[in-house]
Amino acid sequence: MAEFDFPMPDVGEGLSEAEIVEWVVAVGDLVEEDHPVVVVQTDKAVVDIPAPTSGRLVAQAAAVGEIVLIGSTLFRLDAVGAVPDLGTPRHARPATPATVIAPEPTAAAEPAPTRKPKASPATRKRALDLGLVLADVTGTGPGGRITTADVEAAVGATKTPRSTVGTGAPKPALPAPLLHPPGEDRVEPLRGTRRQIARSMTESWRTVPHVTELRELDATELIRAHRTLRQHLADRDIKLTLLPLFVAASAAALREHPTFNASLDYDNEMITYRARCNIGIAMSTEDGLVVPVIHDADQLSIEEIARRIDALNTAARTRTLTVDQLSGGTFTISNYGSYGTWMGTPIIRPPEAAIVGFGRVKDAVVAHEGQPVVKPILPMAVSADHRLNDGHHLGAFVSTIERYLTNPVLLLAGHPAQGGS
Amino acid sequence: MVVGEIPVSADLVVVGAGPGGYAAALRGAQLGRDVVLIDRDGPDGVGGVCLNVGCIPSKALIETANHLDHANTMSHTGLRFDGATVDMNAWQQWKGTVVDGLTGGIRQLLRTAGVSVITGHARLSRADQLVVTDPVRPLALAQYFQFNDLVLATGSRPAELPGLARDGITILNSTDVLALDHLPERIAVIGAGYIGLELGTALAKLGAKVTIVEYASRVLPTMDAMFARPIDRRLRQLGIEVRLNTAAVSFGDGVLDLASSETPSQIRADIVVVAVGRIPNTDQLGLDAAGIMVDSRGLVPVGADRRARRHIAAIGDIVTGPALAHKATAEADVAVEALCGHPAAFAPATIPAVVFCDPELASAGITVDEGRAAGIDIDCVTIPMGASGRAATMDARDGFVQLVWERDTQTVVGVHIAGAHASELIAEAVLAIEMAATLEDVAGSIHAHPTLSEQLGEAAHLALGRPVHVPARR
Repeated sequence: MAEFDFPMPDVGEGLSEAEIVEWVVAVGDLVEEDHPVVVVQTDKAVVDIPAPTSGRLVAQAAAVGEIVLIGSTLFRLDAVGAVPDLGTPRHARPATPATVIAPEPTAAAEPAPTRKPKASPATRKRALDLGLVLADVTGTGPGGRITTADVEAAVGATKTPRSTVGTGAPKPALPAPLLHPPGEDRVEPLRGTRRQIARSMTESWRTVPHVTELRELDATELIRAHRTLRQHLADRDIKLTLLPLFVAASAAALREHPTFNASLDYDNEMITYRARCNIGIAMSTEDGLVVPVIHDADQLSIEEIARRIDALNTAARTRTLTVDQLSGGTFTISNYGSYGTWMGTPIIRPPEAAIVGFGRVKDAVVAHEGQPVVKPILPMAVSADHRLNDGHHLGAFVSTIERYLTNPVLLLAGHPAQGGS
Repeated sequence: MVVGEIPVSADLVVVGAGPGGYAAALRGAQLGRDVVLIDRDGPDGVGGVCLNVGCIPSKALIETANHLDHANTMSHTGLRFDGATVDMNAWQQWKGTVVDGLTGGIRQLLRTAGVSVITGHARLSRADQLVVTDPVRPLALAQYFQFNDLVLATGSRPAELPGLARDGITILNSTDVLALDHLPERIAVIGAGYIGLELGTALAKLGAKVTIVEYASRVLPTMDAMFARPIDRRLRQLGIEVRLNTAAVSFGDGVLDLASSETPSQIRADIVVVAVGRIPNTDQLGLDAAGIMVDSRGLVPVGADRRARRHIAAIGDIVTGPALAHKATAEADVAVEALCGHPAAFAPATIPAVVFCDPELASAGITVDEGRAAGIDIDCVTIPMGASGRAATMDARDGFVQLVWERDTQTVVGVHIAGAHASELIAEAVLAIEMAATLEDVAGSIHAHPTLSEQLGEAAHLALGRPVHVPARR
């Protein structure tokens, strides 16, 4: 048995810190090699950090919601076998003050690695209900035993016990409730994916001057092409949506308008034109918005794009998106039509230069050769960084997307050779 | 999905109707969920391995074997039977009524709770969908269930040995043995773990000539060595031959080929019972579809609340920890409560283990070796069961009670018992350990006389330096 500190590993390109989302293993509990100890959130993804070896968790370096720098201590493990060679110089890097491991505050002063806090099952349940870590409670009972009173005292006299719900017993008849029963405001810290979204949106809104163009497209040909393709691909187990066609059209347009597949470093006054065309797809999950990326979308068939979207969708839903899947985007599509939206004004994700939003296709009466006719209409909105593109650039870019989507057969032509613009 | 496969939406789905699964289903119903319980054997599978082909029927066999053994060996107490025998056919009928009574009771509980029981193999087709196929009618249309929450409780199955694949006729697993309607003359049991020992001991008491073959260097290789001694003695007394450090290689024409470090050898056997452990039923579950990867032992990695994914929990033999029915049942509550959004964690101070060999063994908490390995300052006392008046009247003086405590706080951290009814006696120890009882707590709790339970109280008195019925420690 040997104790060692496990540093926050580098979980992806260029990331410097991660936020603790959930401790899977409690202090004092055994964990087996490769089983998750803690769930962390980086700017890109939620990642399980597994135990490097089997052992007992001695200390957690940070509480849920706290930020841990890459390379600083994440947890201390008492290894059952040999201490694994972590083999990285990061291990030696001094921990920052914010994440120095404090010794586990047990009743006894000396560290007794495998001691669980002494408390009865009822007391442990009470602590769990109150969201309290038993190791943090000082026991006043015989032999340092933690009593239910100790737990309640630790929470503070002000905290009212949570009501128990759903015990299955028939509920007693209550007076008719108010139509709108007055509730209390709920205050909670900004954490997890929501915090990432908030940061990213604030950054964008504060630094990027947006210019947005709204346009309604005649979707007659698009719908026809989609119907044909969907039947064709159904045999290959693909249920085609419009989204892969949006991706293909956007990628084709980006190839013709490199200033929309670019990023601006305003501080250094440099513009980078992206060689690759990596299109992020905004997806809503229970945790909030995530934007997994289809890399090199300009080189993929509609079928391949559809398959990748399916895979990303599944990964997003099961929270198994990898950092790679969330990295490297150069342009974003928001398919807000899938939740019924007609039109929106999408917000750019820096350092990208533009974003397109597609609304829901619906029939509308439009003038055609002087007569009212009914056509399927696709609403589209493109927001661009006005520092890189002017209104007429934006108009041209939007027109190119329109050209591909109103004549989807053009997508068969392939893209011009690399380098030309 | 292909056209035509329309999923049925389900609120809480539980896969596997064993002691983990049916408990999860009932708890889910208590918490107001609409529960669908899916089992390979449908309503007939309710109770799982435990009730149908495991714990319960094996205990019925052991009980009958013990009565027969007493009838034939307690003549010195004045008991006179002349050549008592057992009718295995009649035993099978009795066992059937026992099992049917218990599983029928659970079916009734499930019905009352409004749980629907579905027959079929369930496999994840997506992270939120199960496809259920009927093993009996493979051509029937598969059913799809779109679930909000899922509990996997698919249990385990007997492991097989290469060269000794089960044929159900002469090479049997534990399930087959419990279905025997006659007693073979010579029986070879492969594996001296708890299943092999329980079955081997019972079969010998019923009159078979039993040989137990074990690859390790002692019986009960996964339990503390102190338990092996009383068991070894009793196995010899029952005429059971134990071959240690020996591997079973093959079986044919009534001859079992063995290999050990010395020389190959052979023993005659009418049947071979393979009891070499169990493997988790996770290989046919389609876990990939939910992005779940099992570990090298086939177990599903789960958090303290038994969830592997936000809406998928796993319990029982398919997750880490001992593969015991009572552990699965305890995990069921935790998993379902977590899936219902309540704070929940599976963090027992101890999961007791009991072995129904002769004498019975029971263990709760840590052993002295485990405590020392963990760096705990530990102390222990061991007193013989023979010092108990009640044990003497039962003519069951074999065994011991060992009490392990943490020296500085005098907290009880382990109790290990060998002896008659050890499986019942351990309950007090579990409560003591869960409550973090001290030696004074145990010594100060009055134990009824004359009972076997007095021995734990006596052990606590000995630990405190004031024993009554055994010499004080020096």
